[in-house]
Amino acid sequence: MSSSTAFLSFEGVVAGYGGGDVLKGVNFTVQEGGVTCIVGPNGSGKSTLLKTVSGLLHPRLGQIIFKGTQLVGKSPREILKLGVVQVPQQHSLFREMTVEENVSLGAFLVRDRGEVSRRLKSVREMFPIVATRAKDKAGSLSGGQQRLVEFARCLMLEPELVVLDEPSMGLDPKTLRAMFDTVKLMNEMGRTVLLVEQNARQALKLSHHGVVLENGQVRLTGTGKDVLDNPEIGALYLGGTIQAQSQAPEDAAIKEAE
Amino acid sequence: MNGTAVLHSIIDGVLTGSVYALMATGLTLIFGVMNIINVAQGIFVILGAYLSYALSVHLGIDLFVGLAITIPTLFVVGIVVERAFLTRLKGPERVVMSILVTYAVSLVIEGVLNLVFSSNYVELHAWYVNRSVKVFGTYLPYIYLLGFAMAVVMLTALYVMLYRTRFGSSVRASLADQTSAALVGINVKRVSTICFGLGVAVTAAGGMIYGATNAFNAASSYDLISRLLVIIVLGGMGSLGGALVAGITMVTIEDLVGVVWGPVWSNLSFFLILVVVLSLRPQGLFGKQSVRVA
Repeated sequence: MSSSTAFLSFEGVVAGYGGGDVLKGVNFTVQEGGVTCIVGPNGSGKSTLLKTVSGLLHPRLGQIIFKGTQLVGKSPREILKLGVVQVPQQHSLFREMTVEENVSLGAFLVRDRGEVSRRLKSVREMFPIVATRAKDKAGSLSGGQQRLVEFARCLMLEPELVVLDEPSMGLDPKTLRAMFDTVKLMNEMGRTVLLVEQNARQALKLSHHGVVLENGQVRLTGTGKDVLDNPEIGALYLGGTIQAQSQAPEDAAIKEAE
Repeated sequence: MNGTAVLHSIIDGVLTGSVYALMATGLTLIFGVMNIINVAQGIFVILGAYLSYALSVHLGIDLFVGLAITIPTLFVVGIVVERAFLTRLKGPERVVMSILVTYAVSLVIEGVLNLVFSSNYVELHAWYVNRSVKVFGTYLPYIYLLGFAMAVVMLTALYVMLYRTRFGSSVRASLADQTSAALVGINVKRVSTICFGLGVAVTAAGGMIYGATNAFNAASSYDLISRLLVIIVLGGMGSLGGALVAGITMVTIEDLVGVVWGPVWSNLSFFLILVVVLSLRPQGLFGKQSVRVA
């Protein structure tokens, strides 16, 4: 984390589906160069919030400002052009297309073929699977491999902000660790990362900032460590039971794998 | 029944089937990308046939040369229909509503065609429509061979476009998952509009061949759309390869049944094959079993 500039800010964001509001006035800022992790119980609005960033969902009220530019009302394509890329929760590779085709599509907005080749080469070096399984259909990869290819695809646009929606979903403990290492690496390469994660403890450990979302509003913000150490947070995750301080099952699984 | 007749029906079926495959490819492309069942595809074919008829009769333009006018015209008609009526369809009822809307479009076009051309049957004429060439002891009208060649060229062009171009990648991505396509920067709305235009444009070529091989009026669209829908359902909704294989196979089997058991059975066989295949493979020959995420 190199500076404390407000890179992305949410100001009174209200959004939802149909008649109901899932987000009920969200306010917080994401600092440039860091990893910001949003945690919260199921239904708190984490994924909905990310959809408002990528333009998949337009807020009813409020503003989302990225480097001085209003994102509300913009299409996903316009938002991508600003350098904001989202990897969605569900696997999003085009299963019938090859790994290379999928990764190349990450640079769909880049017209210069030479530039696309250069980026492809760089991504291959970072993610060897892009080279070794280049001609295989994406649908033939395992869940973890697909996630890595999705990361590779999102880097093809050389984004400034990478938005990851529950990247650990469906991954086995070993792959989970590799995935978090990759998130860290992306950040070290200079990408600002905004992350939503159910596997909260593990994600907060690598995050510079933590945001706790509850019932569509920000309940707590702070450094990743502050949020991690907050005694109320465990309770929030475990439904307010006496297990508040116990470890999440995913963490136990990771330790086992280690 | 003799060997020559069977051979003739097979060749005939493959040649005619390729034209049906072309028209069905347009229909399945529209469904695959847009989740829209375009029941107006039949009347678009007839509109294409009438446009060829008008250019040929009134301006003396050759049927194949006329395609340079009718294909772009129907492309524009498709874009106008998509922009005017289909972009408004949203939500879970989109598929069902698309049937109603395109049926309404179909009725309007049918009414206009009846007004302009009357309901009398017409046919397209050119020197190659009535002349034949002897192949394997059987006579084949030139129009069948030319229609086959045209279908092959157009389908090849379509496949090259889909698999070798940037726009083709965006179409295939949109076919697979519209949300993911939007997240890599594909303008799914624009892709949908162009695909609808392309899907309708191919009916200009199909309509010309149909009009040159059958007497037709506006009501001929009902028989056409039922066949085209059977072909894309059998091939697997949204599957381009499925439309190609099912188009050629169905028409060939229909022709063969007509020769072996008699014409009464040929129409029935078309739908009987559909029932049998769907009872074994509900998703069609090349369709995917997974539920499409809208």
